Parts: sequence; structure tokens; C-alpha cells
Amino acid sequence: MDLETLLSYEWGIMTPEFIILGVATALSLMDLFMPKSQSRKILGWVGFAGVLAALVSLLGLIGHGPESILLDTFRLDSFAKAFKLLLLIGSAMVLLIATGYEPNEGLEEFRGEFFYLFMAALLGAMIMSSSGDLITLFVGLELLSISSYILAGMRKRNLHSNESAMKYVINGSIATAITLFGMSYVYGLTGTTNLKEMAGFLTSVYNEQHIYLLGLAFFMIVVGLSFKLAAAPFHMWAPDVYQGAPTPVTAFLSVVSKTAGFIIMIRILFSIFANAPSGDAQGLPMILALQDYVAFLAGATMIIGNLIALRQRNIKRLFAYSSIAQAGYLLVVIASMSLFMFDTLWFYLGAYLFMNLGAFAIIQHVTHKSGSEDISQFAGLYRRAPFLAIAMAIFLLSLAGIPGTAGFIGKLNIFMGALVPSEGHYVLVSIMIATTVVSYFYYFGVMVQMFFRPAGDTGKVKIPAALTAVIGISLAATILFGVAPNIAFDFLQGNFNQFTDFFQ
Amino acid sequence: MTLSGEFLAFMSLALVAVIGGVLLLNLTKVVHMVVALVFTFVSIAGIYVLLSAEFLAAVQILIYSGAITIIMLFGIMLTRHNDTSEPKTGRWRKLLLFLGVLGFAFAVYIGIYNLDLPAAPNDLHVNNTEQIGIELYSKFIIPFEVTSVLLLVALIGSIVLAKKDDEKEAEKE
Repeated sequence: MDLETLLSYEWGIMTPEFIILGVATALSLMDLFMPKSQSRKILGWVGFAGVLAALVSLLGLIGHGPESILLDTFRLDSFAKAFKLLLLIGSAMVLLIATGYEPNEGLEEFRGEFFYLFMAALLGAMIMSSSGDLITLFVGLELLSISSYILAGMRKRNLHSNESAMKYVINGSIATAITLFGMSYVYGLTGTTNLKEMAGFLTSVYNEQHIYLLGLAFFMIVVGLSFKLAAAPFHMWAPDVYQGAPTPVTAFLSVVSKTAGFIIMIRILFSIFANAPSGDAQGLPMILALQDYVAFLAGATMIIGNLIALRQRNIKRLFAYSSIAQAGYLLVVIASMSLFMFDTLWFYLGAYLFMNLGAFAIIQHVTHKSGSEDISQFAGLYRRAPFLAIAMAIFLLSLAGIPGTAGFIGKLNIFMGALVPSEGHYVLVSIMIATTVVSYFYYFGVMVQMFFRPAGDTGKVKIPAALTAVIGISLAATILFGVAPNIAFDFLQGNFNQFTDFFQ
Repeated sequence: MTLSGEFLAFMSLALVAVIGGVLLLNLTKVVHMVVALVFTFVSIAGIYVLLSAEFLAAVQILIYSGAITIIMLFGIMLTRHNDTSEPKTGRWRKLLLFLGVLGFAFAVYIGIYNLDLPAAPNDLHVNNTEQIGIELYSKFIIPFEVTSVLLLVALIGSIVLAKKDDEKEAEKE
């Protein structure tokens, strides 16, 4: 391959990635040459501007047809565009939360590093979302994971943070090893790392033994990736890591990292296993034959996440279990495999992004002010800061799935998607309804604290502008998509054409 | 399966690799563990040679047996090097884990014991280092570049986590 062929590719479709990479490099250089005494907050704003620029360039690419560079090691299809949009919006808001972070200890002197490691993690997630090759997918996954391990351990003198980073790195590496082992089986059977070629090859596999090995690979990949999603029973790391990591990092892990986990799961499972035969008489594709196992994972995640959340007193642990439960709802989408799977998943991830980031902005502000992460810190928030309390209440209602909020529409879509297929997933849907009711208890527990408990300290609360912006945007989006969800769905229909180019 | 020289070589290398791994888990002194690890690394390199992946074998020895082991030894020497790890897990847990490992091994074994893969045209040994280079710098240039970012991140991250706190903090203590 000579330079001419290399240059003939349309590198313009990688603009968002190049911008993020460039900003990350620029940030590290700026950090190097800035005087030591100067605050590193400016780096956060530069990073924010970079993410916005990437977002704009991505929006410019939305009309672009499906295109790939170098045998699909990078590909831009509707799926990539739609989910990159979520990643970038989520990251921009996490950066805003981070610039409003005033730590008591630790993160201050590592602020500069925080921002460019964060950009690197975002780059990994973006690479993952637009790749049609196992190697690129894996490298992107590792870039995201390794940056997250370091981010989780940034509060060096905080024992919780040390513990969380250690747990995260050990659990994460084991999960990666399992995923890689599974991928190696698929590679060994097909002899290629290109997802499309794999799919083409697998349609003609009839050997029993090969199908068995493919099934084994399916389980290993699902198990490995479930760690990333924090799906039960592989969720053990999540509460400790969420509690120990600095709050902006927790927000990042629970929103951007989780979105990326779902992206890679869909890319791999649906590209490879949707075409592989399952070896039974009706010639079902493998993914449909193994659907029940994903459904089991979803059910277990919803039950465990919601039940354990009931006992939590630490607000960050509570949100960790809440995010595990949300991962369970999202797995229902994958397990039900309806026609509108991508739309449903995209909408719910978007709604989750806004409601969760808004809640984390408030959590960061409240816990930082008092220095404790106990739920009782929310007592009497309504008296002290009515705006914060009402915003938090709306985010909690949305997380619980009350009508009028984006979370409700998302859940409704999941129900519909699970009931549409000819043999509906009634068990899964009933588990989901039951656990949603259970989740009311702990979400409303926080609201009881805010509205009906007397305030411990009655000082007025002053919110940094960046946090106000995050809360405002999240609030607006949560209500807007709750009242008029068609805006989002029309956008999807109009621009992404049912994600038909995913398999092309 | 016929008893060829290749088969014998594979069996002995695989045996050493597995024994090294098991010893790594069961030894109590850290330095002994590292030596067991070296045995595993070197025999895996031998297996690479059997698969006509000489470049990978050389890299395996350079990076794993060389660099990583040396860094581990440095790490051990610069910290509390007479540390021994005490097994703390209960018997039931061990039994369950053992059953799990056995179950997984069995599941993989039924998958591969009479696996029959169509033999691909075998010219792996021809210029393979050159071929790796060409593939890496043309087809896989994007993952290659992302890997470089990954290494940079790992480097910065280890500095962030390992460097001493600044003077202000030292005064406090």
C-alpha cells in the first residue's frame, strides 16, 4: 500500500477524533509550560471548548453516508454517529462538573493531568464507537479502561480512592483478559479480525464443534464486557469504585464509560453473532438462540441493583447501585432484540445521561459543601436551596421513571420493545416493573430527606456557574424529552435511517 | 495424534508454562514467584517459535522476560522485599473455585478435543517480520496510533500515581 492509496481515504470523517486527540496533546503541553502556581482550571475550559468543537464537526458529518477507512479499522455509520453524539455531550457536561470541583484534598495538584487523561478516555470511547475491526475495538476499550483506572485513583491521599483504583484495575484487567480470550476464539475460527468478513465467514459454518466454540466465545465476550457495564453478577467493583473516585470521575464512569460499554457490546455481539448459526433445526442465528442468557443477566442485574440500593446510606454508593439497575434496564433492550433496539437504547442512554449527570452535579455540590457523603446531608435542602432541591427531585423522578420525564419515555419504549416480538418477554417485563417499584423506595428516600427533614445547617448555598449550567441543561432536557420525546425520535428517524447501515 | 518432534516440544513447553503459572500462584516468596513467571514467559516464547512466529517470540523474551521481569524485581527490591503473602481464603471457597476452574476447563476441552480446522495454506515462515511491519504500518495504522496514545496515557498515569507529593504536603506531615 503506497502513500497515494493511504491519502485517497477520506480522513475528514475522523475530524472529531483528531480534534480530541489534538486537544489532549495541547492540554498536556500547556500543563507542562504553565507556571506551577497558576490554577489549572483554564485547562478544563480549553478541554470543554475542544469537546464542543468535536461536537460541531460531528454534527457536520451527520449527513455523510457510511464510509470506512483502511478496511473498516475506522468506520463512520449511523450507529457510530448517533452514539458518539451521546459520548461527546456526556463528556462536555462531565468537564463542566469537573471545573466546578473544588476538592478538599488530592485532585488540586493533579487537575491538569485529570483533564488530558479524561480526553484520552473519551478518545478511546469514540474510537470504539466507530470501528469495524476487533483490533481497533480492543485498543479503544483499553485506552478507555486504563485512563479510567488512573482517574479513579487520582485522590492519592484518600484511602477510599486508593482502594477503588486498585479494585478497578484488578477487576478490569481480569475482565479484559476474559474478553480477549473470547475474541481470540472468534479470530481463530474465522482467521480475520474484520467484523464484516467474520460475519460473512460465519454464515457458512456448519461444523458442530465450531458452533460450540463460537458459543463459548460468546459467553466469554459477554462476561468480560458485563464487567464494563457493571452488570450483575459482575458488578462488585462498581460501588467501591464509584464511592472512592472523585465525583466528576464517578459521573464519567457511570455515564460515558457505561455508554461505551454498551456500544462495544452491540458492535461485537450483533456484528459477529447475528449471522452465526446456532446449530438447531430451525436455523436460528446464534444470538437469538442465546438470547435467554442475556435476559437472565438483565433480570439478575435489575433485581440485585435495586434491592441492594435499598440499604445504602452513602449517596455515591446509592447511585452506584442505581446505575447498576439502570444497566439492567438497558440490557433488557439488548435481550429483547426488537426492531427498534438501537432507537430505544439510544434514547434511554440519552435520557440517563441527562438525569444522572444532573444528579451528580448536585451530589458533588452538596457532598463537597459538607465533606460527608451520607444521605442525611440532603436534609432540608429545600429550605436552603429550593432550586437545587426541585432539580434533584426531577432527576430522581426521572430515574425512577415517573410520567412527564425522559426516564419514563425511555422505560415505556423498553417495555414496548420487549413486548413486541411474537413471544414477548413477559418475565423480563414483569421483573422490570417490580424492580422499578422497588426503586421508588430509595429514590423517594432521598426526596424525603430533601423536603421533609429539618436542615442541619441553614447557610445559603452558592452554586458555581458551571454546575448551574449542567443542572439547567439536564433539567431542560429531562423535561423536554419527557414531554415531547418526538423531537429525539424524529431526529433519529430523519438522520440515521433506522441504523440500516450497521450491518453493511 | 502422531508422536512427532514438534508434538514433544510443544508438550514440554506447555508443561513448563503451566507449571510456572501454578507455581506463581502457590509460592509464598515474591522473588520465587517472579522466577516462576520467567519460566512461563520463556516457554510461551518457545511455543511462538513452534508456530513460526519468530518475531513475536523475540519480542516476548525482550519485553516480558526482560523488561517486565526486571522492573518487577526492581519494584520488589525497592520496597519491602521479604514480603510473603499469606493465604487467607477458606476451604469452601477454594473448593468452589477449583470446581469452577475444572468446569471451565472441561467446557473448553469438549470444544477442542477433536476440533478439526481446515488447514490454511502454510507459508507463515516466509518473511514474516517484514509482513508484520507492512501490515502494521499500512492496514492497521489507526489502532497502531491509538496504541501510542495508550502508552502515553499509561506513562503519564504511572507518573501521576507514583510521584512524590510536593513540598507543601511534605511540610504538613
